Amino acid sequence: MLTLRLRRRLADFDFDVDVRCGAAATAVFGPSGSGKTSLLNMVAGLLRPEAGRVELDGEVLYDAETGIDLPPEARRLGCVFQQDLLFPHLSVGDNLRFGYDLLPAAQRRFEPGRIAELLEIGPLLDRRPRNLSGGERQRVALGRALLASPRLLLMDEPLASLDQGLKSRIIPYLRHVRSDLGIPVLYVSHSAAEILELTNQVIVLDRGRVAAHGDFFRIASDPRVLPLVDEFGFENVLPVEIVASDADSGACRARCADQELRIPWCDRPVGTRLFVGLRADDVILTRSPPEGLSVRNALSGKVTEIAEVGAVRLVHVDVGRRLAVKVTPEAVGELGLAPGLPVFCLIKTHSLRLGPELD
Amino acid sequence: MLTPQEWEVLGLSLRVALACVLLTLPAAVAMGWLLARRDFPGKFVLDGLCHLPLVLPPVVTGYLLLRLFGKRGLLGPLLDGIGLSLAFDWKGAALASAVVAFPLSLRAVRLAIEDVDPRLEGVARTLGAGRVRAFLTVTLPLAASGLWVGALLAFARSLGEFGATITFVANIPGQTRTIPLAIYTSLNQPGGEDAALRLVWISVAVSLAALLGSEWAASRRKRG
Repeated sequence: MLTLRLRRRLADFDFDVDVRCGAAATAVFGPSGSGKTSLLNMVAGLLRPEAGRVELDGEVLYDAETGIDLPPEARRLGCVFQQDLLFPHLSVGDNLRFGYDLLPAAQRRFEPGRIAELLEIGPLLDRRPRNLSGGERQRVALGRALLASPRLLLMDEPLASLDQGLKSRIIPYLRHVRSDLGIPVLYVSHSAAEILELTNQVIVLDRGRVAAHGDFFRIASDPRVLPLVDEFGFENVLPVEIVASDADSGACRARCADQELRIPWCDRPVGTRLFVGLRADDVILTRSPPEGLSVRNALSGKVTEIAEVGAVRLVHVDVGRRLAVKVTPEAVGELGLAPGLPVFCLIKTHSLRLGPELD
Repeated sequence: MLTPQEWEVLGLSLRVALACVLLTLPAAVAMGWLLARRDFPGKFVLDGLCHLPLVLPPVVTGYLLLRLFGKRGLLGPLLDGIGLSLAFDWKGAALASAVVAFPLSLRAVRLAIEDVDPRLEGVARTLGAGRVRAFLTVTLPLAASGLWVGALLAFARSLGEFGATITFVANIPGQTRTIPLAIYTSLNQPGGEDAALRLVWISVAVSLAALLGSEWAASRRKRG
């Protein structure tokens, strides 16, 4: 359990966060310059808050009132940053052992051999960091942090400098850390897709404030969160289960909250559960069941809420899951949209983007 | 090849120059870290004070040292009390060249420390290294080339030191007569030109050796 109450004046805004997270993995999500890195640095002890309190599993790491401020070396938190920040004058092996060697033997939780095997960096030990590829460097940085047996792993956009292919190869290692090694993770990213590979517990930061906190699927369509989800590109994330696969028609039949949904074809077995993403723009609302349309998907549901987001209206529809739909104010009037109204959500199969599989 | 007097002058010069490096470098590292990494009120003034010997005429520096550390200087009795005599002694010559060399050495070391990404120190801290250990095991090795340059500058500056030395500790054979002072002495003696020229060649050889040695060390480090 990590309790954070942090206040500090930053260059562009006042950082003021009050949040508790107890999940094995929590993601801190927000656009660039929202204070994510400052948050991590304050937890790590690399940046001093002006007021507040940091508490990890009952131990106070920082408390402005009592003057407690443990130095970074006493906090035992592992850090992995966007740039790997390996020590360039040391070999990979010496980098890995840097924190390990400083730790009393009784406190060491992992052996270098095991970590090297887990992260598949054994063959690199004699090399210098400058002779590694981006993905290798990030794995070494992760291994180095793990070997210091941290009580919490802080990761600041560790995949941001890697291309998509490498990202998807690193993510399984991060899952190992969370589940096999049992180290809780606080993971900073501005990519929702990346976060969802690891966890759905999300803290959304906007200009130094917590805009939302909780399960991503519950908060993703929150009007305060929605404008922040720029890179992700789709505001709706639905968990679906594949029930039949039909390569010829280029689609899979899937079930989403007891309704049928055709999703783009993918080479995954029946029974696979995965996320699909859907932009709030890509949904059409009608009041009557569709006829004579090419659209394959029509989820029925009830309007629960209509929110104003700038010049558009965001209609929340309960189709078993909450679905956010962007419409114009005129459409709200013409359709007579109001909470409680039954509607159909029309979705083109190919506007659905396949996301990561569920565990 | 060299006369006994020349050996004496050369040996003394090297001894003074080495002592100068040993005095200057730790001070330059400490001050370089302070100026590169910390912010505090009065930093500007401290920075200026450190660079003062660079702009002061060496004779002035020597004279100030005399007033401070000479037998009748401000701190003279204190030094006497611990049995350390700097006036008219090679240790005084080392101090004089160290003071003059300090700003040169400091510049090189400070730039090298500023070049080290402070986030690397942060990483070392989160991995369990205290401030001092992080500095010694991460910052310092990464700033090593700057330290080499700082050491070489101090060494070379000491070999060339004249004004502060002669003012502070005079020109005493075997004690404070380093190569520049010996050249000056020879030139003041009738028919001393040949002796002076020999000393000039010695001086060129030593300086060149120091320069090449440091280049060699730097290139070895890069490859290593």
